[in-house]
This record gives sequence, C-alpha cells and structure tokens, in this order.
Amino acid sequence: MGQREGAAGLTTHAPQAAQAVTLPASLDEAVAALAAMPAAVPVAGGTDLMAAVNSGQLRPAALVGLGRISEIRGWQYQDGHALLGAGLTHARMGRPDFAALIPALAAAARAAGPPHIRNAGTLGGNIASAAPTGDALPVLAALEATLIIAGTNGTRREIPVSHLLAGMELLRAGELVGYVRVPLLHAPQVFLKATGRTGPGRAVASVALVLDPARRGVRCAVGAIAPMPLRPLDAEQWVAQLIDWDNNRAIVPEALTAFGEYVAAACIPDPAPAEDGTVEQLPPAVLHLRRTVAALARRALGRALS
Amino acid sequence: MSNEAATATTAEAAPAPEPLPHGLGASLPSTDAGAKTEGTFPYAADLWAEGLLWAAVLRSPHPRARILSIDTSHAREMQGVRAVVTHEDIPGEAVHGRGTADRPVFASEVVRHHGEAIAAVAADHPDTARMAAAAVIVEYEVLDPVTDPEQAFDSEPLHPDGNLIRHIPLRHGDPDALGEIVVEGLYRIGRQDPAPIGAEAGLAVPRPDGGVELYIASTDPHTDRDRAAAVYGLEPERVKVVVTGVPGASADREDQGFQLPLGLLALKTGCPVKLTATREESFLGHVHRHPTLLRYRHHADAEGNLVKVEAQILLDAGAYADTSSEALAAAVSFACGPYVVPNAFIEGWAVRTNNPPSGHVRGEGAMQVCAAYEAQMDKLAKKLGLDPAELRLRNVMATGDILPTGQTVTCPAPVAELLEAVRDHPLPALPKDTPEDEWLLPGGPEGAGEPGAVRRGVGYSIGMVHMLGAEGADEVSTATVKVQDGVATVLCAAVETGQGFTTLARQIVQETLGIDEVHVAPVDTDQPSAGAGCRGRHTWVSGGAVERAAKMVRTQLLQPLAHKFGMSTELLQITDGKITSYDGVLSTTVTEAMDGKELWATAQCRPHPTEPLNETGQGDAFVGLAFCAIRAVVDVDIEIGSVRVVELALAQDVGRVLNPAQLVARVEAGVTQGVGIALTENLRTARGLVRHPDLTGYSLPTALDAPDIRIVKLVEERDVVAPFGAKSVSAVPVVTSPAAIASAVRAATGRPVNRLPIRPQAAVVTGQ
Repeated sequence: MGQREGAAGLTTHAPQAAQAVTLPASLDEAVAALAAMPAAVPVAGGTDLMAAVNSGQLRPAALVGLGRISEIRGWQYQDGHALLGAGLTHARMGRPDFAALIPALAAAARAAGPPHIRNAGTLGGNIASAAPTGDALPVLAALEATLIIAGTNGTRREIPVSHLLAGMELLRAGELVGYVRVPLLHAPQVFLKATGRTGPGRAVASVALVLDPARRGVRCAVGAIAPMPLRPLDAEQWVAQLIDWDNNRAIVPEALTAFGEYVAAACIPDPAPAEDGTVEQLPPAVLHLRRTVAALARRALGRALS
Repeated sequence: MSNEAATATTAEAAPAPEPLPHGLGASLPSTDAGAKTEGTFPYAADLWAEGLLWAAVLRSPHPRARILSIDTSHAREMQGVRAVVTHEDIPGEAVHGRGTADRPVFASEVVRHHGEAIAAVAADHPDTARMAAAAVIVEYEVLDPVTDPEQAFDSEPLHPDGNLIRHIPLRHGDPDALGEIVVEGLYRIGRQDPAPIGAEAGLAVPRPDGGVELYIASTDPHTDRDRAAAVYGLEPERVKVVVTGVPGASADREDQGFQLPLGLLALKTGCPVKLTATREESFLGHVHRHPTLLRYRHHADAEGNLVKVEAQILLDAGAYADTSSEALAAAVSFACGPYVVPNAFIEGWAVRTNNPPSGHVRGEGAMQVCAAYEAQMDKLAKKLGLDPAELRLRNVMATGDILPTGQTVTCPAPVAELLEAVRDHPLPALPKDTPEDEWLLPGGPEGAGEPGAVRRGVGYSIGMVHMLGAEGADEVSTATVKVQDGVATVLCAAVETGQGFTTLARQIVQETLGIDEVHVAPVDTDQPSAGAGCRGRHTWVSGGAVERAAKMVRTQLLQPLAHKFGMSTELLQITDGKITSYDGVLSTTVTEAMDGKELWATAQCRPHPTEPLNETGQGDAFVGLAFCAIRAVVDVDIEIGSVRVVELALAQDVGRVLNPAQLVARVEAGVTQGVGIALTENLRTARGLVRHPDLTGYSLPTALDAPDIRIVKLVEERDVVAPFGAKSVSAVPVVTSPAAIASAVRAATGRPVNRLPIRPQAAVVTGQ
C-alpha cells in the first residue's frame, strides 16, 4: 500500500502493530510451536478467526499459521478409506476428482460460501470451529468419519467426529486436527441445503445422506438445526429395509415421503404431552423448519436412489 | 448498498479514433471509477494525521433504561486515555436532530434505543479507546421497552415530546361512497437497513482559532456543520466540514451519534481524533427504513373502477423523530398509488418506540404503501376475476388527475404507457432447452431446489415517488462555474455519493460552454450550501444551478463577440470548442475568445414553492412526481418456500436521459435494493435489542440473488419545470420492485403474501 496524500496533509498510511507469527512446515513442528507458546492460536484459512480479529473481538498473542504444512493439504488412500488432510480447502474438495470419491463432501464444499471463502476455508477449520451451520459437518457425521489428532512428540490419537462435535471428547491444549478418515463407499451420496436466498448463505437446514451398499445401510445427518448434526438412526434403519438392494435399489415412492417425515419428526419432535394429555402446538416457524427438513430428506433419498 | 463504482465501467469503451463521449445524453464515465475499482480511492476510513488519537463510543446495551449514574473515573485513569466525554461535557445545545431537535448527543437520564451513545473516549490506540469505553461504569435501571408501535399510543411517554410524532388524517371526497366489491388487508413491512458498503468513519482536526474541521462522509455537509457548531457552542464559521470519499449512501448515511463526539474530543484534547465504526456500531447507530403496519380497505364497482380507499398507516419511528414526519407525508399522500381514486380516507401516524431509529432511506413512505396498495389491487383482481394488469390499467392516473391530497398532477404521468410496456414485453423462456443440472433454481446452485416443486409466477406493480423535499421545504442549491485557460471548474457543495453528480456537472458544462476539460472541486462548507443529497434533488437543483452559472459564463464569453458583430448572443453557438454564428460568418475558438481572461459566475436554483399538508391532508405538497412499472417473474420452491426472482422488467418515466450508462446503473442498483426488501433484508429485533447486526445475519442481495433486469422502456417526456426536463431515477425502482415480487409470489403460490420481506413459510403451499 502506497501512501496517499489527502486534503490538509492527511495521509492514508497507518502503521500496523507487529505480531508474532510462526509458520511451521510440518504437523509435528506446528504442535511443538503450540506447546512452546500456549497463548498462540492456530490459524488455517482464517475465515472465522480473522473476522473476529478484525472486529476486535479477539486479540491473539501469537499465531501459528498452518498454511505451509503440505502434508495436510492433500489426501491419500488407506485400506478402503480416504485420509483427508485437515488443510484441504473447500475449493479443492469441490473439484470433480474429489467429487468422484466423496460426492456429498464435495457438494457441501461447493455450497459452503462465496468463492473467496471456499478458497481459504479448510476442512479442519470447519471441524475446529464446529459452527452449527458448518456445511461439512453433517456429511462427516453421516460418513461416521474419524479424526486423527496430532499431539506432542509425534503422538496420534483417533476420535469419532461425532464425539468431538458432541463435546464427549475435547481437543487438549496444543493438539491439532491432522487428518479426517472417511470410508469410500462407492455409492451415491447427497448433500442438500436450504438457505434464505439464491446466493451463498448460511444453512437454515441441511441434510447429508449416504448409501452403504456393502452393509445395506442408509446413513443420514441433519445439520444447522441443532448445535451439532443430528442422526435419525431409527429412520435410517427403517428405510434401509424398504430398499430393494438387489434390484437397482428400488423403493416405493410413498416410502420417500414417509422417510422425510420420519427424519423431520425425529429431529424436531413434538413437545411431550402435558399431564392432562394435551400436546402443545409447535410455533409456525418451527413447523416450517420441520417441513423443510422433511422435504430435504425426501429429496436427498430420492436423488440417492434414482 | 449502492454499487456506484460500477457506473462508469459499463459505459461503452469508444474505439480509439472517436472522440470521448461528452455533453448531455452521452455515457460519460465517472472520473473516480478507476480508483474505486482498483481500491485506491481514499474514503473517510483511510484518513490519517500525525499524532492522531482514536475514539470509541460507549453505547447502551438496553433499549430502554434509566441512567442512575455514570462513572468515568476508571476509564480516565487508564494509560493512554486522553479524554472521556459524556453529556456533562457538551458546551452548546444538548439535543439535535434532522427534522426535530429531540435527540441528545449523549444520553443523560434515559436511554431510548439499543446502541444509543452515552460516552465517548479518545486514546492513543483504538483498542485502548474501546477498552476505556467499556470501563465507563453506567448504572442502569432497566425499564420495559415499548416495541410494538400500536402500544405506543397508550404507553407512558418515552420522550418529553410525547409518543405521537405526527398524525395526518387525510380526507378526500365522499366518506359515504361505497363500492360493490370490497377487499381488505393487513400488511407489515420490515426494517431495511441502508447498509452502506463502507461503515461510518471520520477524522476531526482542531484548528488554531479554537474551531474544528470534520473530515466525514457527509451527504449534507452544511446541515451537519450547523448542528455540530450548535452542539460545540461555536459559531458556524469556526466549524468546517470537509467531505471525504463517500462509500455508498442510499439514505441519510451518517450517524450523528458518532460525528458529534468526534469533534468534541478533538476540541477537548487539541489533537486530531479518528473514529471508524465497526459494522455492528453502524447497524446500531444510523437510521433505518420505517417498519410499517398498514390496514387497507378498497371499494370498487363491478367493472373494477376504484370508488374509495380507506387506510390506516402506522410508521414505527423508533426513539427519535428524525425525518419521520416527511416519510409519513409521503406514505399518506401516495397511499392510493398512481390510481384515480375519487374518495380517499387515509389516517397516518408516526409514533415513537424503543426500536432502532428510523429515518430517510430512499423511497421512504412511498415504498411501504406501494407494497400494500398493490397487494390490494391483486386481491381486487382475484375477486373480480380480472387480469391483474387489466384491472390496474382501468384505474391508472394520467397528467391532469388529482392526488388524494387535492394536488393536480401537472408533470408527465405516462403510467398506462409504462404498464403496457412491461405487460407486452415477452416473458422469459423456461430453461427447458438446457440440461436440468444447469438450471438456477430457488435456493441457488448446489441448493436443494427440485424442478418438480418449482412454480413460476408473474406479478405487476406500479409505483410513484415525489422528487425534492415536500411540504414547503426550501430546496435551493448554489453553484459556481469558473473558466480559465480552456479549463472549466465547477464549485458546488453537492456531494458525490456515487449518484453521479460530478459526472453530470461535467456534462452540463461541456454542453453549455463547449469546453471538454471540466473539473469538479472537492466539497467543503466554505462553499455555499447545496443542500442534502436525496430524492433526486442534486440532478434537479444543483444541476440546475450549474447550468445557470455555466450559461452566465457563456453570456460573458459571447457578449463582446456578439456586440462586435452586431448580433445577439443567442445567434452564436459553441460546439467542440468553436464559436460559430448562425450564418457562418463568424468562426473562432473558445480559447481565442477568452483572450487569457478568467470568467466566473455563481447562480442559484430554487424550484417552485410547495405548501404543507393541512389538517385534512390537503395541499400542493410536492414539486414533481416520478413513476415506474415493473413486471416480476419469480420461481418458488413451494415445499421449502425459497424464492428466486428470475426477471424484473421495468419501464420508467425519466423525463430525459442525461447519461444512459449511469441511468442504467442507478436503476439496477435501485431494483436490487428492492429485491433485498422483498426477500431478505430485515434488521430483526427482540424486545428492542438488535439481533445479528452484521452482514452475515443481515443478508444483502448477492449477484446470484439479483435477477435479470430488463429496462423495457424509458419514457422521455420532458418535465417542463425541471432543469433539462429530467426526473430523478434512483428512488422509484426501490419503491416499486418489492411490490412486484410479492405480487409474483402471490401468483405462483396462491398465498396472500402480506408481509415483507417474504418469509419462506409464507411461500409454501401445503396440503396438496
């Protein structure tokens, strides 16, 4: 930025305060840097973190930039699974080669925001910030993904993504999400998202649905309507029995509608009846949300089986 | 949200040998477009001065509370803090306001809305200033806020001036007239935020004479100066407002609650003080569009001719009056729309609540009623079994008809022509020839849209706005034109907000004087006042003043020549820098005729006077009117309720096209702002507290939300009282497009759609 002279000798130059930034080249170096500076904050795409910094809500004493760790910016195969680096950007996950492997995650990545956000935002960041509207989260929940967490001295431990999102297990100080292991299912997967507008927006509700033909299973997760993705397990099991897995995965159309309503009722249940047996009516906005979830789940299953 | 920088880039790039476009009617590009697109254009937030201090404002976290005590001692003791000011430190007037002086600079006894300023701090670092502002200890007695405007009538006064800001009971015609067909409706319009792309920022520099200079993105510098001087207890001459780059203004963009403390802190510390508002502060501080509740009853005969309109209109003004009185006058006067209505009984109220403040946002008053009267027209058409466009055509007004205020429409009013133009334009094709996965469905790319659940709807609306201030406002502007060494300079305090005034001023001078090189000087309050930039007034009054000054210079230039050749100056003409006489005998250049002289002229433009509405809402309150017709085509996913506006076809009454490229940009920006009102823009509150004051929570239309905008027809019927015959173009598309979109959603879903923005649950078709 050059200096510009304005009226009355005013200029547009402002000195910036210096900040401690470390740029490790490997996951272990990054963990070591965090251990050395407990006050440091790791930053990958920075789409959430830097917004908080710029608005003055966060003043990190130091930053550990994860952008130069090449080992977590790609993916590899590992006995029937894909090992995804936490530094994969949404833009990268949205490309056709990735979509051929894990279609639902690619669809979620493409829906995750405007291009500049997708270019910067990462899979690991989506997991670490764990926003209810994080688009990758319901897909990871439906895939029953496992997180590989890097700790000090090269240690690695594994936790299911749902355990982290539910707060059953937490990242310890100095740990980083290194990789995400997801199964390769070789079957249709769908991610659908309802937003308030045509342009990129936060999800009002989203549904990820994957088929697991080897186990003859359907797995579904609903995002954005609760602090973490919800799994309607009963609905999944019920509908899996109705699919004719040996005959082109055929299903009667009524089952699609029933599945949608089953999912919606499981995720947004009616209030428990009062003592006198009366059931309170849900507010109109909640009823609409339930209808939306039902439509998304029905459409998702319909597309996966078509 | 005005995307002004785009204006010039759309102008045609002329091939090299052709001369650059110049003069009126040409698509002259704006001079600052390059700098704006490259990001080098300096806005207020970019200003810097040696040794400056940073300011921060403490704002109320409560919508309504009594202030029991304010303790600034901790804040004052913090290292790096140079000054803390509260209501006790105001040397002059303690209250100010745009229309009515009813707003305290700093709340002293009570706070009346979430985000009201209570104290301000100057410190050597922005973080220190924010921390010090947070360290000011305010003891509140939290009171129950009044957030329902209907309750404002009966609740205890929120302000010494009372809760009723204005009541207009308009009565026109026979109250006993009845129609065979009656339709009724209740409508609600949400709170649009002008959301300028650059938040408020400014720099105050103390002057050696004890005065202060304010470098701010003001759109009305002289009024801001006078108000600041009154608060500081200084003569107006000792306060100077210098207008910096304005980053978007489709409203009264500036929050005075930050301008006034800025100068106060500079005077107190003797140092330059800078403040840049966060987006949250911007949402809390500046004025919004009035949330409005409207109840309508339309009477018509069996052929669909309107007989009577009865309406009640309630504007939520928020805590302070601001320009609510003017917004109410527009709402009541245009409550029937551009239709001939023999009998009209309209009651309008603007009331005080503890909601965020409302004020001037373009098309105020007129936009809210347009959504309601057009919904009524749709209901009427449905009840009569008539085509909605046909019903409208049976009732549209024309020049010579009478408004419900008793004022005769004397300007061109080609309403029928506009509506016919959009109705007859071919409808957009269904995307059936393209592969299904390329369709842009409601919900957007990668959205959940499913072709089988999508219904298409077509809707119409016609809208009107007034131009210039109403009800006797003195709309005057002054401009100076100077010519020296073949270069013309315009000095006029009309602020370039992106509306294109500087480009227009250059075109006017080029046209009148035949000089291609024209500069427009930066604006400050050392120049005479040009008034506020709103309601298309700079095109009219400031453009008119520039034209008059340029004509005076022209006379000075041509007089000696005319005298020499014994002819009047009218027989000489200037084209491309050459002066020629009607008979071709005389031919010389402007440079030769100037003969090294410097020519100056200053002129004023003041349109014909108007009068206030009387106690029954009657009076010639408006200088001019502009009209627009829009046909909207929408796709609705009837299961999820998501809406995509496919196309908006527009026909507008523009008087005369002065700059085609700029006009198209203004219309597109206005229509898109209307898309926001219709679908997403609503600053939500909960018990008076603003929810999600950020651009993620408050969804502005993106490029994908903006529809195809087809300008089908621009009717150029010159308005004889306006300079150049041109009408204001920016506001009327904002007024008209939300109603057209609502009408189209109604057609697609069969639902009533009586609330804007349209909520998804209102666009869902259930039980099929």
